[in-house]
Amino acid sequence: MTILAIDTSCDETAAAITKETKVMSNVIWSQASLHAKFGGVVPSLAQRHHEEKIDWVISRAIKKARTGFNEINAIAVTVGPGLAIALEVGIRKAKEFSNKYNLPIIPVNHVEAHLFSPLAISSSLQQEAGLSTLKFPVYGLVVSGGNTLFVLARKFGEYKILAKTSDDALGEALDKGARMLGLGYPGGAVLERFARQGNPLAYKLPIPLSGQEKRMVFSYSGLKTALYRLISKQKEENLDKKIICDLAASYQYTAFQHIYRVIDFYLSSLPEPDASKLFIGGGVTANLEFRKTIRGLCKKHKIKAFFPYSKKLYTDNAAMVGVCAFLREKHLGNSYVNQGLIDRVPNLQLP
Amino acid sequence: MKIQKIQNTSIDSVVKTLESGGLVIMPTETVYGAFVDATNKKAVEKLTKFKSRPFGKPYSVAVADQEMASRYVFLNKMAKRLYKNFLPGPLTIISKGKHKVAEGVESESGTLGIRIPNHKFVLEVVRKFNKPITATSANPSYKKRPYSVDDILNNISVKQRKCIDLIIDAGELPKNEPSTVIDTTSEDLTILRQGDIKFSRKNEVVSRSPENTQNIAKELWQKYEQYLGSRSIVFALEGEMGAGKTIFTKGLAKAVGVKETITSPTYDLEHIYYINGKRVFVHIDTWRMQDPEEFDDLSFDKRILDKSIIVLEWADKVHNKIRRYAEDALIVWVKISYGKRSNERLINWTTL
Repeated sequence: MTILAIDTSCDETAAAITKETKVMSNVIWSQASLHAKFGGVVPSLAQRHHEEKIDWVISRAIKKARTGFNEINAIAVTVGPGLAIALEVGIRKAKEFSNKYNLPIIPVNHVEAHLFSPLAISSSLQQEAGLSTLKFPVYGLVVSGGNTLFVLARKFGEYKILAKTSDDALGEALDKGARMLGLGYPGGAVLERFARQGNPLAYKLPIPLSGQEKRMVFSYSGLKTALYRLISKQKEENLDKKIICDLAASYQYTAFQHIYRVIDFYLSSLPEPDASKLFIGGGVTANLEFRKTIRGLCKKHKIKAFFPYSKKLYTDNAAMVGVCAFLREKHLGNSYVNQGLIDRVPNLQLP
Repeated sequence: MKIQKIQNTSIDSVVKTLESGGLVIMPTETVYGAFVDATNKKAVEKLTKFKSRPFGKPYSVAVADQEMASRYVFLNKMAKRLYKNFLPGPLTIISKGKHKVAEGVESESGTLGIRIPNHKFVLEVVRKFNKPITATSANPSYKKRPYSVDDILNNISVKQRKCIDLIIDAGELPKNEPSTVIDTTSEDLTILRQGDIKFSRKNEVVSRSPENTQNIAKELWQKYEQYLGSRSIVFALEGEMGAGKTIFTKGLAKAVGVKETITSPTYDLEHIYYINGKRVFVHIDTWRMQDPEEFDDLSFDKRILDKSIIVLEWADKVHNKIRRYAEDALIVWVKISYGKRSNERLINWTTL
């Protein structure tokens, strides 16, 4: 089953071709693509102006996968959650191609797509490799700029939210911390580089909701405030590179400790007996220290951690949308939805 | 449509045009205004067509003096004091109406805004006409403020042009602000739009915990809740990272009746919540916007027209963009700043 997948849920304009769980191509528009041939049209640099980029991204995805519309069986498109005006562009495009080539559309939940992104496999691998890891129930953790969510998937399409953020997402908290430290935006990745050179225990920042893990809530507003206060105080004395590195390391360490403690509490007190795997997706997965933290946690509880195989699958992308659409069709069937019923759902929740 | 120089125009000819249901554009001490007989239903409908704004948004009216005003509204003590001190002048005073004007002039809740323009020509017209005339700026909704006849004509369609019967041209007007709008129908005076007349007041409280901040938001909501349904209510929040803008929004949302957990809209830019499946609570964050122009992509016009409740974080970034809506929305500017002690926040607000 070959799928053309589209994701325009927020910042990125993305398209991909997937075959079952295999990623045949995975294209994300970037500033760098500007230097590539653009057919004479120079798109606006505004990040979220998907309209100008979507055609190029789709044709590139098809070309890179060395396929054509005659081989594509369905179109998968993200319908939510996300920014309404952004989602709309991808959905409109999906409908256009659906009409033109008489292809069914599979609407996809962006968070669900992140959740199963570890199942995506490289096009050079055997088909079964990805799917063999999927045996329900599994735990899922989505950590990105817009989401911080720990769930239990009883089966495909049936989720129990175990913990989610009550204010900021983890990726957002890292970006904001980076900005406060003067590291620019988006700063999560830069923060990680500085943190690597710093001492995570140099500053004692309060671990959010410490001692209240049983509430099963993530929260980053207090940590942000604490960092702000600490920076203001340091500025009065001196804020050199070493201090910035130490602050970055301490902040990042505390942010990850919070995730660790909440999930650790759950796995220690009321784990699901049959769940032995944790799928992790979302942009923060790119952070090595984060992966180390999660691996340590999984080891302690004797469950296996699965991360996406490629960096391009961490942040928003369309390959995960194609894979998720395939899984939906495989597990639930009837995933094709009448065009007229497909609409953007900016505040879509997990079922 | 006729354009006449002000020095060549007789008061009588303007009065005649108004009497026959005509739309007259005249200069005032603020901007060019569009005037029709406020007691003539057809004339008011024509004006609404010209302004191309939805039915149900009230118009203020111009009268010649306080005596004439008292025929159309109930003047309480506060209003009388304001009339005495500031009128004629660039101030619109909202009072409880006597329902003697055409439908659509008073607000849905039956209030009426009255103005006595400090402009000799207009005052003479109203005095002679001896009935209130609508006093609204002569630009269509959200278009440039009209300081010259060209400002008006360059921004309207042929259809809108056809609505105009007479334009009194007084050349380019000095760039004065539109009138300040004050509501005297509630217990304490509320400024709905800030012009050149300023009423200063200090609204500041100290919060000592996140719960405290949420309660302050709730109290602020109760203060302005009465405008719900008559216009959009915008809470424009400013404050540094970690100051508690999202916490404040949580309190506001609870008071308004949002059931879901409010989380930061930083990444998605905008979160939308429905209250009882109907009224919309919009939570916007401009932090990630590289350019204030991105704000225009969010269909803010529509949210204002829908009379939504809107909370904007990092409002300072789009200050000028929000100001454009000062006529159609009640804008509450809220600033949250760090206090001396670690858990302290100073919260101050203003509708100016």
